[in-house]
Amino acid sequence: MTALSPAPHKMSARGVSVFYGDKQAVKDVSIDVDMDKVTAFIGPSGCGKSTFLRTFNRMNDTIASARVTGEITLDGADIYADDMDVVQLRARVGMVFQKPNPFPKSIFENVAYGPRIHGLAASKSDLEAIVERSLKRAGLWEEVKDRLSDSGTALSGGQQQRLCIARAIAVDPEVILMDEPASALDPIATAKIEELIHELRGRYAIVIVTHNMQQAARVSQRTAFFHLGQLVEYGETDNLFTAPREERTKDYITGRYG
Amino acid sequence: MTKPASPAAHAPERQPTDWKSAAMQKRIRRRYAAERRFRMLGAGAVIVSAAFLAFLLVTMVAQGWRGFTATELALPLDLKAAQLKVTREQLNSPAADLALASGGLEEAVQNAAVTAFGPDGASFLAPSAWVWVRDAVKRDPSLLERRATINVPAATGFDQALTGDGDAAMEAGVARLTRQNAIRRGFNWTFLHESDSTDPVAVGIWGALKGSLMTMAITFLIAFPVGVLSAIYLEEYAPKNRWTDLIEVSINNLAAVPSIIFGLLGLAVFLGTWEIGGRVYGPMLPRSAPIVGGVTLALMIMPVIVIASRNAIKGVPPSIRDAALGIGASPIQVVFHHVLPLALPGILTGTIIGMARALGETAPLLLIGMRAFIVTPPGSFTDPATVLPVQIFLWSDEVSRGFVEKTSAAILVLLAVLLAMNGLAIYLRNKFETRW
Repeated sequence: MTALSPAPHKMSARGVSVFYGDKQAVKDVSIDVDMDKVTAFIGPSGCGKSTFLRTFNRMNDTIASARVTGEITLDGADIYADDMDVVQLRARVGMVFQKPNPFPKSIFENVAYGPRIHGLAASKSDLEAIVERSLKRAGLWEEVKDRLSDSGTALSGGQQQRLCIARAIAVDPEVILMDEPASALDPIATAKIEELIHELRGRYAIVIVTHNMQQAARVSQRTAFFHLGQLVEYGETDNLFTAPREERTKDYITGRYG
Repeated sequence: MTKPASPAAHAPERQPTDWKSAAMQKRIRRRYAAERRFRMLGAGAVIVSAAFLAFLLVTMVAQGWRGFTATELALPLDLKAAQLKVTREQLNSPAADLALASGGLEEAVQNAAVTAFGPDGASFLAPSAWVWVRDAVKRDPSLLERRATINVPAATGFDQALTGDGDAAMEAGVARLTRQNAIRRGFNWTFLHESDSTDPVAVGIWGALKGSLMTMAITFLIAFPVGVLSAIYLEEYAPKNRWTDLIEVSINNLAAVPSIIFGLLGLAVFLGTWEIGGRVYGPMLPRSAPIVGGVTLALMIMPVIVIASRNAIKGVPPSIRDAALGIGASPIQVVFHHVLPLALPGILTGTIIGMARALGETAPLLLIGMRAFIVTPPGSFTDPATVLPVQIFLWSDEVSRGFVEKTSAAILVLLAVLLAMNGLAIYLRNKFETRW
């Protein structure tokens, strides 16, 4: 579409449509996602932005009626190809969900689970180092370092969400997908998450879905506006919010609907 | 006004609601009355069911406790004088039982009773009393050479007379033996470690209890893994189409099939024979054995376990599955690391309910031959055996009055096993639920 950088993209979507049974939820969307950048998907409820996000790590596979057409590539390789291992794909493209969903296990086990199933830690001390590094990157280490064996579900909502982020980065992903990660949190916890997204930007390609336009403006470098399953406008965040090219984008960001 | 205005604009001005009017007060009173009525109905229902349960327990305990007690008579014996035709060598051989029986032991015991308790003394002893003497002699052969007093079981009629419920001759005997201080009452260990017998004094529940435990073991080993694996497959892997719908409906219907039908199925499939091409095949399993009973009951409770397990698996929040899939867990890792541990309390509860149903089941076992008269506990899964509810059924059919209290006592044993199983279910559920 527009405003694409010339370097090879981390992930690219070309002509992607998603169907739930006969209903088309996402219509012919093409978009590129790059390293060191935060890409925000905004749009009114039901516009297909979350559904589109879930095509990036094939989470729609778990919904029996969902069907995806078009092409999505990770480092140039089609992720819907037969030889793509979906388990490895999801390790490389991590996900943080709308509602904090830590496992009903200890804080340590929550973070250690991913490295363990992918065999990333050579020893127990190695695993402990991974857990510590992940919790530090997620900005949670200072708060939980003395109670790693407590249940992850006993933390506050904001801490739970940062634990989920730590869990996602523990498997060393290249892309992190965030599906409205702060919508269930209070303003202070939200601010912490946004700060964290800033810090993580240098290491990962981050895609965040949000219905909060201020949040998109604060955290992202690029913004895509979705409406009724279509990608209406995609560009640099500063341009999109100050000088939208499309009438619908302008209506949305000025609060006419949403 | 180009647009039609809302209807409220045309409606007459409403009076402010008078919350204290008589009509309102009446509504409030009616509401409270309905509340009170419903609460009383609920409490009444609880009281009725508790009363039924209490009635059942009180009747069973009142009738059954005597089944756990034994009346014994201290019988003075002089076996040296009886001059039994038994040698020491015979006593140490495996044929000792036969040697003592043919050596005139039974007659000697009866003579001793006449000597000790009067001319009708022999009728005070249980018909199997000499067996106690035989076992005592086998334990201590020196009894053949000296005088001794051995406790032997009293006859059923004598036991009844002791409670004031016997015939005149027996009551006279009770009075006489009480004076002689020959009556002993105590806990009936025989009942706990013997098996079925024709003499109510000599019967025990151990054979049926062991048969039940072995049958349950087979049932569990088959029904639990098959049921849980089916549930996991149907919930987590099977495509949702017409075939899986059909399977689901069939399983639900199977759970409602009367148990005797499963008995017929077991009879036809496991004990039946087929003639194919001139050769006769089958039966697959031995009759009357815990293995065939266990397999039949496993078929019966499998649908219960499948339904309970599916519900438990369905109850695991989808967000947990998403979380695990989202960091790259494979479907089997999602199931075994996350879904099963969280569903386990529900699965265990359903399994134990199914097992409790199997434990109390009689009808299908009657059809596959587990109603035989069996005097020795089963030594292996292929030995003939009976189970607790069938034993209760058999004893309730007996003519001798001594079996009445034994039947109630057996029911108490069955209830105790059931309570123990339910207790285990509650313990396991609480143990695994604290992790959530």
